Amino acid sequence: MGVAANSSCLEALREVVGEGASALEPARGVAGGHFVTEVAPKTIEELSDSLRALTAQGESVLVEGAGTQMHYGNPVEGAATLLSCRNLSGVVEFDSADGVIQAGAGTPLRELAEVVAAEGWLLPLDPPDRGGSLGGVLATAVSGPRERGLGPVRDAVLGLDTVLASGDRARCGARVVKNVTGYDMAKLYVGSLGTLGVIEKAWLRLKPVPLSCRLVELEVPPSDETFALALAAVRRGSARGVALRSVAANSHEGPEGSLGLVAEFAGEAPATEADADWLLRGRTAWAPAEGGMDAVRDLQGLPLPGGLRARVHVLPAGLAEAWRCLEGPGVELLAYPEPAVLHARFAPRPNGADDFAWLGEVLTRLDGMRHSLDAQVVIEEMPAGAPGDHDVFRGTPNLGLMRAIKDRFDPSRILNPGRFAGRI
Amino acid sequence: MSENQPLSRSDAPLFLERLAGIVGDDNCLSRPEELYTYGCDGVTLDAHVPSAVVLPADRDQVVAVVATCREFERSFVPRGAGTGLSGGAVAMDGAVVICLSRMVEIVEVDAENRIAVVQPGVVNAHLSDAIVHLGLFYAPDPSSQQACTIGGNVAENSGGPHTLKYGTTTNHVLSVEMVLPDASVVRLGSAAGFAPGYDLVGAAVGSEGTLGIVTEVTVRLVEIPEAVKTMLAIFDDVPAACRLVGRVIRSGMVPAALEVVDRRTIRAVEASVYAAGLPTDAGAVLIIELDGAACEMESLTDRIRELAVGEGVRELRIARDADERALFWRARKGAFGAMGRLAPDLYVHDAVVPRASLPEVLEEICAIGDRYELTLSNVFHAGDGNLHPNISFDRRDEDELARVVAAGREMLELCVRVGGVLTGEHGVGMEKRDYMGLLFTPEDLEAMRRLRDAFNPDGVCNPGKVIPTTRACTEANPRARGYDQVPL
Repeated sequence: MGVAANSSCLEALREVVGEGASALEPARGVAGGHFVTEVAPKTIEELSDSLRALTAQGESVLVEGAGTQMHYGNPVEGAATLLSCRNLSGVVEFDSADGVIQAGAGTPLRELAEVVAAEGWLLPLDPPDRGGSLGGVLATAVSGPRERGLGPVRDAVLGLDTVLASGDRARCGARVVKNVTGYDMAKLYVGSLGTLGVIEKAWLRLKPVPLSCRLVELEVPPSDETFALALAAVRRGSARGVALRSVAANSHEGPEGSLGLVAEFAGEAPATEADADWLLRGRTAWAPAEGGMDAVRDLQGLPLPGGLRARVHVLPAGLAEAWRCLEGPGVELLAYPEPAVLHARFAPRPNGADDFAWLGEVLTRLDGMRHSLDAQVVIEEMPAGAPGDHDVFRGTPNLGLMRAIKDRFDPSRILNPGRFAGRI
Repeated sequence: MSENQPLSRSDAPLFLERLAGIVGDDNCLSRPEELYTYGCDGVTLDAHVPSAVVLPADRDQVVAVVATCREFERSFVPRGAGTGLSGGAVAMDGAVVICLSRMVEIVEVDAENRIAVVQPGVVNAHLSDAIVHLGLFYAPDPSSQQACTIGGNVAENSGGPHTLKYGTTTNHVLSVEMVLPDASVVRLGSAAGFAPGYDLVGAAVGSEGTLGIVTEVTVRLVEIPEAVKTMLAIFDDVPAACRLVGRVIRSGMVPAALEVVDRRTIRAVEASVYAAGLPTDAGAVLIIELDGAACEMESLTDRIRELAVGEGVRELRIARDADERALFWRARKGAFGAMGRLAPDLYVHDAVVPRASLPEVLEEICAIGDRYELTLSNVFHAGDGNLHPNISFDRRDEDELARVVAAGREMLELCVRVGGVLTGEHGVGMEKRDYMGLLFTPEDLEAMRRLRDAFNPDGVCNPGKVIPTTRACTEANPRARGYDQVPL
């Protein structure tokens, strides 16, 4: 993208959003791109006009919320303009009697959680990154350790207002909690990394704040029985989340090779008590560490500069084997038994001859699990400067269909080109 | 949209011969008396007789049938048990019905991972029956669950009384195998609950058979709760029952079901074989079902009782055992059958409103019914805000039929006005296609069309459903047309 082309793009954007478009000086490097222009619309009309102008110019954009998850996804291709959703922020409508809320995509997740908590509701979005915006959380759709209790990200979404690359506004769903009026389009936008449309605002379904919460932490041996115990624990009626994590060899927390089991039970007091007591029976609890399940969530989202972070989805019965496939020196693992997800953190292990030989080995191991365990693998963080051309969404099926969808929603590849599965 | 041109005198028998060659003579229907059965689903007002019906035995036969339809340029419509309530399985313009009701195999039950793999023709209730010994069940429970198929449930994203706690079909489908309209086969989603790329299984569930034909479904299974508590809260009027629903929701409890039955329905039920001993002078009953751990039932029941008393409940009955629980549910489940006592025909509406607006909306809906001098009764999933205003009528009375249609439209307009939607579980199908403009702009509908076109670019798979043709957006009405038949 030439500088000249981009200055005409800035002019075109200024015509529709005025000061909402600006030159970035110095240019910003993010998501593998180099950005000299930014547009930050404040209304859906400005968002629509901006996209219409960008499409007219043939100018691709990188869509950004709070900017905390820009390492997620493949590098952007050929975009020099950033479209920031930060000004599409705030609660539009909160019906606390009905337990639903509509908020702008740029609304900080923390702010949203506080607003609903003040009325006795719980925001059922618990992603590893707490600094994100609502739109970013919906676009990435990565769950934290409480997915069992809170549901996946897609379940929280009742309706979306989106703007397509053409500038056309497309609403789907509504504010009601049950709805089959037309296709369930929200499923398509959630988790699509902004490649089909830009989310402007969303209706969310809230959950009640539990009356009682119990946290149990145990030190457990790395055995098949431990994985079976974790699965049984997460299947208790009040379980909101269970996690197993590797304990660092030099940690004071337990003997080498032992695992930490964290379980959170939430709901009616008699049920949480009964479930926590069931798990503790005959076992010695650790003193609950600072943070409990929040600490697990933060660990899941902790960046690993220079290293690789991967998310592996398997069937519950395959989790122990998946764990064994990946454990080793320099590897930190975190597992949730159901839905069964393994988060693996591989520290960089450069050797004298080849700084990235380890990376190839790790990818080979991960890809091997796709075949041996029917695992689904996403690389959530690639080491900067890694050689080769690796799609971080490993082995995406049905790319023909997915490209057909992309072609119909964004034929000129204006939105986040290259970022999604199969470089869509 | 594809329109079927009449086949030539020689092509028509050849087409049927080819279809019969794939599925066998007994499973390829073309005699008028056989085809009439497939002229409508649960909506009987507007029937279209298909040009042929085929009943494939497996995925490969579905592929071959689709390929043959493409070769002869015939559109086709997937169908399960035909219990749908929006005309979604009706073959318009001489389309071929591909009926999946022979594909009834439960392919795999994996208790350890709590999943099952089933063919689309498996009857909803049969799956739960087959796994009860494992302590598991399949949660979505549409009222037609003794007859409807899981393939049909996937198409409609079916709900049921227990949606409030357990969610609808989309929350329980992990993966589907689908024959696309070009006769290729894809597997969407994965048993692990995630597949990289767009959430195609999420888009496919509820697409009403317009994206392809589902030939296998991987579903999530749920543990049978340790304890169930069913209560009947008897009220003097429907708004009071709805206000209790609002209080329960606001309290943070998530019952398994919150179902309202109104006075007219109570009386019909009590006069029928479904009689459950309900007081016929009551204005409404609210069925409240709690489930979960045995140890939490007492405190939950106490909280419900407190809220009910605060709302002026006339009587709160708590089922003592499974038999009494079944009796309570009889009033709800037998309601549609009992309405046969009121009139020869029943129009079951389906719309959703914000739960907090239920009391006012119900009053207005009754006012609409009165204004059109119709026999209206209400049985509905109050916990989800999912209304079912039921109009009993006689289709032979043209004036009454016109009033049924006009009142139905007014009710939908009312629901949309308060932030609601056109359908919560029955689907759009043919019935509500031309009402879509009440809720959506042409741009909103165009986005849906883009999705459909990616799967079904020529519109040959279940044409004429869900998305209105551009010009008909807000105009046309469903109306009785009798039987319409377009032969091959």
